[in-house]
Amino acid sequence: MRPIISVRNLSKRYYIERPLNRNPTFRDAVIETVTSSFLNLGRQQKSLGVPLWALREVNFEVHPGEVVGLIGRNGAGKSTLLKILARVVKPSAGEVDIYGRVGSLLGVGTGFHPDLTGRENILLNGTILGMKTPEIRRKFDEIVDFSEVGQFLDTAVKHYSSGMYLRLAFSIAAHLEPEVMLLDEVLAVGDKPFREKCFAKMKSISRDGRTVFIVSHNLKQIEELCSRVFFVNEGRLYEESDVITTITKYLTHISAYEERTATAS
Amino acid sequence: MSFTDEADPIISDLPFTSHPKPAKTVTAVLPDEPLIRIRVRKQFSLVEGREIWIHRELLYYLVWRDLKARYKQTILGGSWIILQPLLMTLVFAIFLGRIARVPSDGIAYVPFLFSALLPWTFFSNAVSASSYSLINNAPLLTKVYFPRLLVPAAATLVRLSDFTVSAVVLLVLLIYYHQTLHWTILLAPVLVLQVTLLALGIGMWFSALNAKYRDISTALPVLLQLWMFTTPIVYPASLVPAKWTWLYELNPMVGIIEGFRSALLGVQMNWRSLAISTLVSFILILLSTHAFEKLDEEFADVI
Repeated sequence: MRPIISVRNLSKRYYIERPLNRNPTFRDAVIETVTSSFLNLGRQQKSLGVPLWALREVNFEVHPGEVVGLIGRNGAGKSTLLKILARVVKPSAGEVDIYGRVGSLLGVGTGFHPDLTGRENILLNGTILGMKTPEIRRKFDEIVDFSEVGQFLDTAVKHYSSGMYLRLAFSIAAHLEPEVMLLDEVLAVGDKPFREKCFAKMKSISRDGRTVFIVSHNLKQIEELCSRVFFVNEGRLYEESDVITTITKYLTHISAYEERTATAS
Repeated sequence: MSFTDEADPIISDLPFTSHPKPAKTVTAVLPDEPLIRIRVRKQFSLVEGREIWIHRELLYYLVWRDLKARYKQTILGGSWIILQPLLMTLVFAIFLGRIARVPSDGIAYVPFLFSALLPWTFFSNAVSASSYSLINNAPLLTKVYFPRLLVPAAATLVRLSDFTVSAVVLLVLLIYYHQTLHWTILLAPVLVLQVTLLALGIGMWFSALNAKYRDISTALPVLLQLWMFTTPIVYPASLVPAKWTWLYELNPMVGIIEGFRSALLGVQMNWRSLAISTLVSFILILLSTHAFEKLDEEFADVI
């Protein structure tokens, strides 16, 4: 079967500024900007930072219906990979082909406007996440029911409690219907009953044949939801024969690291 | 083997159980061509144009959001759209028209001023709103994909809607000052289109620069002030010495503002300055589109 996503030699390089070496004045900035925006001198200007490889030559293919978990320590490159797939960040090298629509949920409540009401924010946020107006109208009641904030629908969301805010945001996102879903640590929102409801929803999404990527530090959830797991370390992907083995590899990595830091201190 | 992590309540709450995953057999019909191709180099502008068309509803909602949210928690609400240019006109009319007695080519100072101040206010507000638009929407830009051009475009359209409302006031004012309307008023919509595109062009360029260098935020008010005084708004273009006219008219707003004034007040149209302005606007719009596309590639990294 053909893959729905194919990633070839994908790399992402960031530059960390060296503040000591650089003291840009407004004049420098103007000159640099004008030249770099017209003359393609991007490379020269980038020499001013220390390169940091967030992803190094990543290759993989994902087939329709696979639920892929991304695990790894902070700064390993998990979110960078999702951001590239979501087209928020441009890669430094490599190619990605996606044979379907992508819905990304990289932060809860993205694009919520505090002064608008819950009702208005459902329309706004739904559109931002890629839904069309008729689709939002069709799912409106379902979204409201799921979020349990029905009685505050005409209140500005800035007056919501943080839990209500998160619940509404998750509900909108959970009703997206793209072929590929990207989720970055948004599973655990709100209080315990709502978190369990979210988790159940996630499970049903991942079971209905959609392709899903999940970044999470919650290994229990990853193990339960995912059919494949990538362990991300220093910008490289590792995948073992099965989910449990990959998770074990990650855990071994962590304990090795903890031992090292323990002996160092 | 234990997956227990003290920090996470869910893990410690639930007993760990292992679920062997059945191999899924999903029969999905995939398109022959990828819907999304992610490459290092940007694709043709044609693709970008298609993306903008796909996301047109988002443009509508971005404008809708700003219009809805803007006058919440204000007392005077939407009437600010009219009050702002009226108050400005009052101040200029008193200090420049009455006290300093700035000439106005034989036209009453208030309609002379207002017919130019209105398109200028639109231009200036649109440029400054779009310049801040990318920064203000940073949380959005780092989380969701859509053509970035929509953000400054929405900011410009919000200001255009203000302008449309205040244009009605302008017409009332003209009637009050017994100005007869000429056929030339038909040129006004064309000029509005030109000033909108110019404002969008300059605005998107600045917004992209601002995302990278916050200096723009500081420099912009000064720049717009300077631009206003090098444009015949509070004074007539006839005050500029003839030997400097060629330089003066390179400012694309000169032709637009003069054109707008002539169109509304039925004064002799300066076709030359209008032609120069159209040409300069066109070049500026092309340059800024190019600059925006270049800077677009690094927004999410630098914003």
